[in-house]
Amino acid sequence: MSDENAFLVLADFLIPAHGKMPKFSDVCGYADVEKSLDFRIDLKSGFARGIAVGPATGAEARLESLNKEDGEAFSAITTIAIATYYMSPRVRELIGYPGQENVPYDSKATQIYLTNGSLGQVVARGRKYRPTPGL
Amino acid sequence: MTVEVLADRGARARRDEEVDVVIVGAGPSGSVAALHLARAGISVVVLEQGEWPDYADYTGARPEHELVSTKLWHPNPNVRDNPNDYPVDTSTTDINPLMFAGVGGSATLYGAQWMHFLPSDFRVRSMDGVAEDWPFTYEDLLPYQLEIEREVGVSGLAGDPAYPPRGAYPFPALPMGSVGQRGALGMEKMGWHWWPGSNAIPSEKFGELNPCVRRGTCLTGCPEGAKSTTDRSHWPLALKAGARLVTRARVKEIETNEQGLATGVVYVDANGRDRRQRAKVVILCANGVGTPRLLLMSGGSRTPDGLANSSGLVGKRLMMHPFASVLASYQDPLDSWRGPFGQQVYSLEFYETDESRGFVRGSKWNCMPSGGPVGVSGATGSKVYVAESGRFQDFWGANLHENVARRFGHSLIWGIVGEDLPEESNQVVLSKDLVDSDGLPAPQIIYKVNENSNRLLKFNIDRCLESVRAAGAIETLVSTPVRESGWHLIGTTVMGDDPKRSVVDQWGACHDVPNLYVMDASTFPTSGATNPTATIMAVALRNTRRMIAERRNQKVA
Ligand SMILES: Cc1cc2nc3c(=O)[nH]c(=O)nc-3n(C[C@H](O)[C@H](O)[C@H](O)COP(=O)(O)OP(=O)(O)OC[C@H]3O[C@@H](n4cnc5c(N)ncnc54)[C@H](O)[C@@H]3O)c2cc1C
Ligand code: SF4
Repeated sequence: MSDENAFLVLADFLIPAHGKMPKFSDVCGYADVEKSLDFRIDLKSGFARGIAVGPATGAEARLESLNKEDGEAFSAITTIAIATYYMSPRVRELIGYPGQENVPYDSKATQIYLTNGSLGQVVARGRKYRPTPGL
Repeated sequence: MTVEVLADRGARARRDEEVDVVIVGAGPSGSVAALHLARAGISVVVLEQGEWPDYADYTGARPEHELVSTKLWHPNPNVRDNPNDYPVDTSTTDINPLMFAGVGGSATLYGAQWMHFLPSDFRVRSMDGVAEDWPFTYEDLLPYQLEIEREVGVSGLAGDPAYPPRGAYPFPALPMGSVGQRGALGMEKMGWHWWPGSNAIPSEKFGELNPCVRRGTCLTGCPEGAKSTTDRSHWPLALKAGARLVTRARVKEIETNEQGLATGVVYVDANGRDRRQRAKVVILCANGVGTPRLLLMSGGSRTPDGLANSSGLVGKRLMMHPFASVLASYQDPLDSWRGPFGQQVYSLEFYETDESRGFVRGSKWNCMPSGGPVGVSGATGSKVYVAESGRFQDFWGANLHENVARRFGHSLIWGIVGEDLPEESNQVVLSKDLVDSDGLPAPQIIYKVNENSNRLLKFNIDRCLESVRAAGAIETLVSTPVRESGWHLIGTTVMGDDPKRSVVDQWGACHDVPNLYVMDASTFPTSGATNPTATIMAVALRNTRRMIAERRNQKVA
């Protein structure tokens, strides 16, 4: 099995289709995976070990044994799978995530807690600190 | 002249020159000392093992943010694996110390939650019969706190009944997003204290700082240059005032003469060469781990147990604020990837001692957004939000999609910071086998979360669950004590009047070496339960002012 297939089988087990959400290989190609690995060269050796043996025993058993025997490889495979998936523009659109966006605001706008009385109740409950002068 | 030109000029070390003051560390404490000393006409050189931040490296605005930041901007130096940091031996600690090396120090990655200690924090022995009182009071420190706030550009709302009256903050509080409103709703339902968050993030343009645009990546470096760190708030002014800053300069030893007075430091420069910086006064601002490490590495044969350590307390009494987090998901959208990440709301409801709870002292809570989909999935990374589970399948497959659908954009996190009481068994020592990139011994942390902290966290988690459920939470996840949470490093060169029971006096001067000072949180006798940077900078300013006023009486080699 090629590296590409070995990984995609594992990734599709980790991130299958569910409800409106697509499975990993429906939205991410192996080129996306390689791009992610370029951002995290520290994961490359663990990733290579994780896909080295084809999942002859099935993806779940393979992941199970990686999780028990080679935590670093398991972490590399899962980190790359999940991060690549949620970087996909299609997935972001489906979950309503624009990324860490820029949201300018008016710093002088009156905040709701000042007009709806909620902060007033905190103040009305009175002093909380223990004064210390004289100690 | 631009900051770049000034910084470059400062970076050139001058052979054999003796300066008035050399400072180790360019984080919040070292930056305050450098600025005020330079303004007073005192010659000052700061040696910093890290580099100037490059804002283009902060990935917050890019799609790969969650992938990259969990390595490059991880708060644990052992995970970052950057040669500018020193590694830490964490094999004997319940909590990993977190820090960052660079101009701006660990605050490069801080949440910018800006809190003063409370009056009782300075009087724990008198009020609660534990640990020690500080040699000065809340009232003594307040003017310095307010001055630092103006230098830093803090935003917040005055009038909190959990504090004595104080003046207005320099900037209005940041807008409270849906996350903060939902957090406050739970507290309101319980009739408990909450207040709009105060943050070291100006809500308007301030000097070199841009207005915050709520990108929500403060904990991994602010790509907007909006979060206040001293590379922007203090260093441009300090360089103009004549301070010099040498980066990639790792101090390996403080040197002393026959009379036991400090004569300067030896550091390893960017090319791996040893250099000497002579100085009349040495100030350590290397944080609660780096400062005792350097003292333990110094002293030579005259003081084999480390410099300034006749009390035996250097490195001891380490406090790291055991921390728990509660993630709560709600049916309604809360846009919970939007910032500021610092704190939208805080609560001091359980700050003061109530012995009926079964522990002394208390906690501070802060309400934060939960972040992007990878983080809230709990499937990978530091698992800050999710308790360890034996089965990986719980986080993957259909569960992954369901967890993300329930939490992403719909959840908030309450962080619970507990006061840590000092114990001599919790300490920083030198590792016997781990070394940094210059071959110097790494610090080793020996630390156990104590019984008081365990009870405190349990009580607070139970209350927090009541609050989030009162506001309609449909799911809650608790993590306690969070291992990756040693962001506050306190207590390892304790201040006091008695040289047998303390390392420095109330002005930060070492009892054993009167021209060697410590001006970071190592000197704090107790830890409070609030985030410490406001107090660290205020104490550094108080000490620096005193040093300037007393300069003619300073004993020097
Ligand atoms: C992830 C994270 C989140 C945080 N959030 C908050 C928050 O919301 N609010 C808050 O109040 N606090 C927060 N903190 C804590 C805050 O960052 C620290 O309290 C503050 O930075 C301490 O300032 P300092 O100058 O004493 O030490 P540091 O900022 O740690 O600076 C010490 C400097 O000394 C340098 N140094 C150390 N040893 C040597 C040596 N031998 N030679 C040369 N240089 C050396 C280091 O490289 C470093 O730059 C957070 C910390 C972290 C890590
Ligand atoms: S929320 Fe504000 S301070 Fe934080 S990273 Fe975004 S712009 Fe910077």
